[in-house]
Amino acid sequence: MKNRQPLFHVVKRENASLGRQAAAYFAAVVLALAVGAVLLAVQGVEPLTFYRQMFTMGIPGSRYPWRAVENFIRLFVPLLIVSLALALAFKMRFWNIGGEGQFIMGAFWAAVAGMQLGESLPKPLMLLVMALCGALGGGLYGVFVAALKVKWGTNETLLTLMLNYIALYFLQFFAETKGEWNFFLDPESARPRFARFPDSAQMMTIPIGPFNLNLSLVVALVLCILIFIYLSYTKRGYEIAVVGDSPNTARYAGMRVGRIVIRTIFLSAALIGMAGAFHVSSAGVMSASPTNDVGWTGIVVAWLAKLNTAGIVVASLLITVLQYGCQTASTTYPAIDSNFASLLQGVILFIVLAADFFTRFRLAVRTGKEGTK
Amino acid sequence: MNDPISVLTLFLFNIVLVNIPLLYGTVGEIVVEKSGSLDLGVEGTMAVGAMFGYLAGCMTNSLLLGLLVAFLTAGLCGLLFSVLTVTFQANQNVTGLTITTFGLGLYFFTGKGMGADWPAMTSAPALVQGFAALEIPLLSRIPVLGKVFFSQNGLVYLGIAVAALVWWYLSYTKTGLRLRAVGENPGAADSVGVNILLYKYLHIITGSGIMGLGGFYMALNMSGSFEGSNCWINGYGWIAIALVIFANWNPLLAVLGTLVFGFFNTLQIYSGALAGAFPGALGWLNAVPPHLFKALPFLITAIVLIASSVRKREGSGQPAALGLNYFREER
Repeated sequence: MKNRQPLFHVVKRENASLGRQAAAYFAAVVLALAVGAVLLAVQGVEPLTFYRQMFTMGIPGSRYPWRAVENFIRLFVPLLIVSLALALAFKMRFWNIGGEGQFIMGAFWAAVAGMQLGESLPKPLMLLVMALCGALGGGLYGVFVAALKVKWGTNETLLTLMLNYIALYFLQFFAETKGEWNFFLDPESARPRFARFPDSAQMMTIPIGPFNLNLSLVVALVLCILIFIYLSYTKRGYEIAVVGDSPNTARYAGMRVGRIVIRTIFLSAALIGMAGAFHVSSAGVMSASPTNDVGWTGIVVAWLAKLNTAGIVVASLLITVLQYGCQTASTTYPAIDSNFASLLQGVILFIVLAADFFTRFRLAVRTGKEGTK
Repeated sequence: MNDPISVLTLFLFNIVLVNIPLLYGTVGEIVVEKSGSLDLGVEGTMAVGAMFGYLAGCMTNSLLLGLLVAFLTAGLCGLLFSVLTVTFQANQNVTGLTITTFGLGLYFFTGKGMGADWPAMTSAPALVQGFAALEIPLLSRIPVLGKVFFSQNGLVYLGIAVAALVWWYLSYTKTGLRLRAVGENPGAADSVGVNILLYKYLHIITGSGIMGLGGFYMALNMSGSFEGSNCWINGYGWIAIALVIFANWNPLLAVLGTLVFGFFNTLQIYSGALAGAFPGALGWLNAVPPHLFKALPFLITAIVLIASSVRKREGSGQPAALGLNYFREER
């Protein structure tokens, strides 16, 4: 019989070394930047000067360098928290792509609390109430899907996707409809416009010299540590890993899978909602589209980081540098859109997704000795 | 223009005119999903097809070349998706979302990079003409319906023809049947000798190409005027993903679904005019916030999704292996 085995076939790799992976990721970023450089050159922009401006984010030579850092942190904190939260859900193979909607709902309920109670509560208490309202708003919006998934197996990817848009138009209704009842809007303005939050509902900052450290950054970093501990050292965190690996194994071991899924998704969506609360209170004013696409970008970050907590910190830093850097650099280059960051982001992820293949699988070359199976 | 019947006619006419890209996007996504792949990159794929199709069509002054380039560039997005998910076994959700991020990035980068060289649609008479109303003899003279259905541009008819063709292909041809088998149970299809790799690649690329045609349509419908802040596709790609579910993965139902979703989509713009034209019967439209109409397609789809899962997917056209990668050695 003729040997019909193909020259190559693909075999799962058992263990991938960390060094190999890190090298692959570094190469992905470099390669993506090279692709970007070609595109920039085509547009007649000197790539190196553009990249220098992008990576320094316009900080050197700026008259208010601290202001740039503060703005950077405002972009960084929501992305970090959302990515962490999404990784929790992805660990259980729950494809929560509803980060946008959960973020909006969190921001919305935090804003409700801020506008209604802002005058009457002292600042620390007010911020706590806002964070809790945001967490509850986002959490309930997400856990509803988890409950349906557990009960009836509803497709969570598509349902959370739909809920994003429902949340968006829900918020836009409040943003664009004037009325006596609509306490969100500025009563002074003839056109619908969000009113600023009362002073006590605005995020606290810790002044360090000329720099105002946003309190939410501290909270976000503490959250990172807590989640790391939760996942690595607690029984509940272990359950997440088991359910994600194999729900059947978990069931066999006597775990209540449905309950674990619902609990974890609530936690995940609540964190996203809390990020929404932090975001609006840092901005000091509500917005009709508050997310800055963080629900989508968070997925990219979580995936780049392989759902690893420390990796998420690094990856979200990198992506924020790309985004904020492109934003500042594009102000000096009219031909370059700030969406150049999404382009780079896309290319990085494409290369990483392809490179992942070689860390998860290996190509086995036909030896000729295997015979015909 | 204040004549109630002409307002109504214009409203109905626009339901078809403005929303046909949804049909292209939906039919394209049905082709992709029938192969068992969930491509969330519709928005980005349409944006890429729109941008490059429009530029090519404008610069060569050829409608056909515009369509071709839109199909091919969007097809390239499909190829990228296939290489990553089919060959490299990457996660489909993440890959699709990345296609959207990348596609929109490329769209804005290219558009803005053109700067003052941006070609106006009026510079390409072939495109203007290609998008002009094509009145079908006799039928177009039927009152109201003639204007609504038989005085549209050629690309509207093309979209409906593509939907009908895909429906026929999926239901009545051998390859269509095999394709559905790949989406339902790739292991079984593989064991009877269907080339899974080939089927997936071919259909993901073709489906993406069809999405690109929808993007090209949107470019023409926006008269090719590029704005730095808003993409032409404007969320239609996401509505198309919803519409696939609403249409139960059936291209003919997708035509109907396009009209239903299009009804709400266009109603938000025309509610004021309609309320003015029919103050007695439709005056209440003024009281409904337009945001409700915008959210309704998504709300309806969410309800359909939940309802079909409660009914245990009985009669659902959703491919059983949707979203799962096929790795032969785990068969």
